[in-house]
Amino acid sequence: MNGAGRRHLRGLLILVCLATVAAVLRIVIDRDPEGHIALAWPKPEYAWLRWTALAVGATVGSSLATSGVLLQALLRNPLASPAILGITTGAALGVMTAMYVGHVTGMDSAWTSTSVTPALAGALAVMGVVYMLSQRRGRLDPVSLVLVGVIVSAVCGALIMLLQHLVPSGLHGEILRWMMGRIPEATPAMSLAVAGAMAASGIVIATSMGRAMDAATLGDDEARSVGLSLGALRIWLFLLAGALTAGAVALCGPIGFVGLIAPHAARLLLGPHHTPLVPAAALAGIILVVGSDVARQVIDLGAGRMPIGIFTALIGGPAFIWLLLTGRGQA
Amino acid sequence: MSVAVRGVTHRYRHTGGDAALRGINVDAAPGRITAVLGPNAAGKSTLLRCVIGALTPTAGCVLIDGTPASELDAGTLARRIAYVPQRPLVAAAFTVREVVELGRYALPASRRRIDLALEQLQLQGIADRPFPLLSVGQQQRVTLARAVAQLSSGGHLLLDEPASAMDLYHAHTCAALLRRLADEGATVVIAMHDLTAAASMADECWLLRDGRLVAAGPTSEVMDIQRLQEVFGVEFEWVRRPGGDSVLIAGSP
Repeated sequence: MNGAGRRHLRGLLILVCLATVAAVLRIVIDRDPEGHIALAWPKPEYAWLRWTALAVGATVGSSLATSGVLLQALLRNPLASPAILGITTGAALGVMTAMYVGHVTGMDSAWTSTSVTPALAGALAVMGVVYMLSQRRGRLDPVSLVLVGVIVSAVCGALIMLLQHLVPSGLHGEILRWMMGRIPEATPAMSLAVAGAMAASGIVIATSMGRAMDAATLGDDEARSVGLSLGALRIWLFLLAGALTAGAVALCGPIGFVGLIAPHAARLLLGPHHTPLVPAAALAGIILVVGSDVARQVIDLGAGRMPIGIFTALIGGPAFIWLLLTGRGQA
Repeated sequence: MSVAVRGVTHRYRHTGGDAALRGINVDAAPGRITAVLGPNAAGKSTLLRCVIGALTPTAGCVLIDGTPASELDAGTLARRIAYVPQRPLVAAAFTVREVVELGRYALPASRRRIDLALEQLQLQGIADRPFPLLSVGQQQRVTLARAVAQLSSGGHLLLDEPASAMDLYHAHTCAALLRRLADEGATVVIAMHDLTAAASMADECWLLRDGRLVAAGPTSEVMDIQRLQEVFGVEFEWVRRPGGDSVLIAGSP
């Protein structure tokens, strides 16, 4: 095994160990109603709640992180993430629309069991618009993609606010909590199964495209000249990133920074090769989301469980600034 | 085994219909170095991009070893053509060796070819350095090494200003390497602005202006002083050196 291979193996082992620690902590940390923290294996009658939260956290973390890797390869921009292209907001708008329609038609509970579908529809609709408007000279232009993504994201954000305004006040709290990101301990099995299957297959497919993503780091003409079908690769990356983001948003709402920070953490450990980077970023995403979920079990400010989005933003925001200041955010 | 450009016209949609290339007919033969010359916006890069399949000509076609380039998939093209772009870009912190290895993306891995390419471009000493940290001249050498590692026997090597940021020593080293590759049977087509270098290294020249072919043929015929002055708008002079050979010197407008 050469030096790069040893670095990949060492990095993956470190990430597996950290992910295991985060997972075990999520299962054994116990907080009683008085707020006392203890480490104990959960009683069988509510152990499934913690296993569900762990499964949701792992699915969401790995999905968003993998999506981030794909978009950063697509745009040749290490600061790209699902949120930048409006995919997160599009998926959230899909879920919000389903919630609103469910409320208007008297089927309030129906949206939760099928929320992957509206999230996917919202994400794909936004991606279709962004894709069409980002064509320059018959090609997907990465710079236009970012600009159009930001604008479409803003429009979707405005539509979400409109829907929030239209729903009755009783639903406001539920919507607000969902928009801040949450890791539910009870979620429809079908949603979790669909999102989990999407995450697992997405990681496998993305890993298999690792060499192609390596070649795509070259300029367009150069990448084609070494034998890469760049147009087909970009469509695959785009669709896969959208599906993974939709699955994550459907489960937990829009959670920021995971798709940006996890790929960078993995790159610091393993380097730029995409084949090992994809599973490594997925592990880093699991560590970030499950670790944040552990933190919100432990930290109690007297107002109930905090939304997980607060933790990922508090970690991700400074990390984003660090990337900018150190130049690691440049290609 | 050759590159043939047949009646190629190309219009960029964003330029409002002005043709970047107009009815170009040229041939590049194996074992020869062909220089593509012309002022800025003459169509040199557009012509190379049509040949490598990055652009689809509005009219006409490019034949690669007798087959229309449009009928060849990316993998097949990569086995026949290696390309060096005007501006090197690698949007990741790959090492020099890893960038050169990308040249074998569509081809079987070959450590021997990678080592040889690094050696030919004198890059062994910096093989483990990250590409983004190199100077532009060094990046150009790495990009050329990547193309050399990709180039198959009897293949075609197209280069767009490959040595524009290199120091004189490495520019001469690269010129010598291109001559060696041509002697081994490669078709070498190189777009360049340095007419002095073109005059000393090219066997054939294609001279372009405003998307039209002004002249094509042996270097000594195409690089006629009067013609060059008309195309480039500056004076030229052939100067005989003490060794007996002549060099082309550009003067003032």
